[in-house]
Amino acid sequence: MPLRNDQGIVLRGFPFGEADRVVVLLSPNHGKVRAVAKGVRRTKSRFGGRLEPFTHVDLVLYEGRNLDTITQVSVIEAYPAVRGDLDRVLAAGTMVEVIDAVTQEEESSIRAFLLLRQGLAALDAGPRHPDLVAAFLLKAADVVGIAPALERCAGCGRRDGLTKFSLAAGGALCERDTASGAVALRPGLTTYLARLADSDLADLPEHDGVFSGEAMGVTRRFIEYHLDRGIKSLAIDA
Amino acid sequence: MFEAPVQRLIDELSRLPGIGQKSAQRLAFHVLHIEEEDARRLADAITSMREQVRLCARCFNVTDTEQCSICRDLRRDPAEVCVVERAQDIVVIERTQEFRGRYHVLGGAISPIEGIGPEQLRIQELVARIDDEGIKEIIAATNPTVEGDTTALYLARLLKPLGVKVTRLASGLPVGGDLDYADEITLGRALAGRLEL
Ligand SMILES: [Zn+2]
Ligand SMILES: [Zn+2]
Repeated sequence: MPLRNDQGIVLRGFPFGEADRVVVLLSPNHGKVRAVAKGVRRTKSRFGGRLEPFTHVDLVLYEGRNLDTITQVSVIEAYPAVRGDLDRVLAAGTMVEVIDAVTQEEESSIRAFLLLRQGLAALDAGPRHPDLVAAFLLKAADVVGIAPALERCAGCGRRDGLTKFSLAAGGALCERDTASGAVALRPGLTTYLARLADSDLADLPEHDGVFSGEAMGVTRRFIEYHLDRGIKSLAIDA
Repeated sequence: MFEAPVQRLIDELSRLPGIGQKSAQRLAFHVLHIEEEDARRLADAITSMREQVRLCARCFNVTDTEQCSICRDLRRDPAEVCVVERAQDIVVIERTQEFRGRYHVLGGAISPIEGIGPEQLRIQELVARIDDEGIKEIIAATNPTVEGDTTALYLARLLKPLGVKVTRLASGLPVGGDLDYADEITLGRALAGRLEL
């Protein structure tokens, strides 16, 4: 029997047939994996809550022609606190949606996997840091090679006088560079963003109420522009 | 491909949830062989259900009158409202005979990736009921999924400032099951929501 072992973090699932569910996971070595969990929607399913989004699981898969079937699941990490708090569950939803958008099937995705794991662990550890999602998005952009220029001008590479920002030009711009659609930024915002991009998600710098909202706004627009899609999870107003 | 009238029925049946091509064919050929009167009764049951059934003006339960039988029942306690995702869930809770309040059907659960936010659910309608009916407690009986949890947490954040107590159905172990068969997530929640004896 073609059985194989894998591990992954559950990104999402959708109903399949009468009582089954197709689960989409991110595996560090195999990228996005789709697999069928048979009977999982029945209350007495032996899979129980193990295949809900945000759960890091160890799997035994039976390889099928089109879809693999999950035969065994054990939990590596469940991040239980994430689902007990609205801000955290929405942030986890954003993380998973973005990672889902930037990863492919059958393509090693260790960096994306580790980033998602760090993000979920940070959410599970305590109340949501106001800048956590922005920092996560900046790191996700880096993983897929679209990180915004924050410490150097995206036009000429200068390090000082970075007063503007352009989505199309790829980040901060100095006052000498002009790009259509460049907007003026609050002085200090690019430095603030650069610090978020460089920090450990579990140990973010103390947040600044003046910069926080703008940092999230710029980051969100940048990512949505370069991924060419909206992040639906961020549209929930809570 | 079958003869056009047969194929038409197969196509319609296979659009039903959980019915694949194979089952649709089996059902269509079954209908082909039953009495004509039985076939007509089946067709009539489908169309008259759609004509007669509507949603309760208060709780959005399925009904054939302006308000559903639960909302019209004067013995039900208006101060307690059980919030469910779908009308089918009301039947399940009613079967327990443990709940004596009224219901509210949201029409789904918050699921950003499916484009379902609070605005797509009947949450404003629920808020409007609070003063009208003197609601004191909302029991969030949404599914124990991420979407159901998110919806329950959203309701709590929205309604607690209005002086409403918001509770969530406890997650527990299936009665009659073995403890060592339970997954750690269900068991962890059951432990967190344990009851004093
Ligand atoms: Zn420049
Ligand atoms: Zn009603």
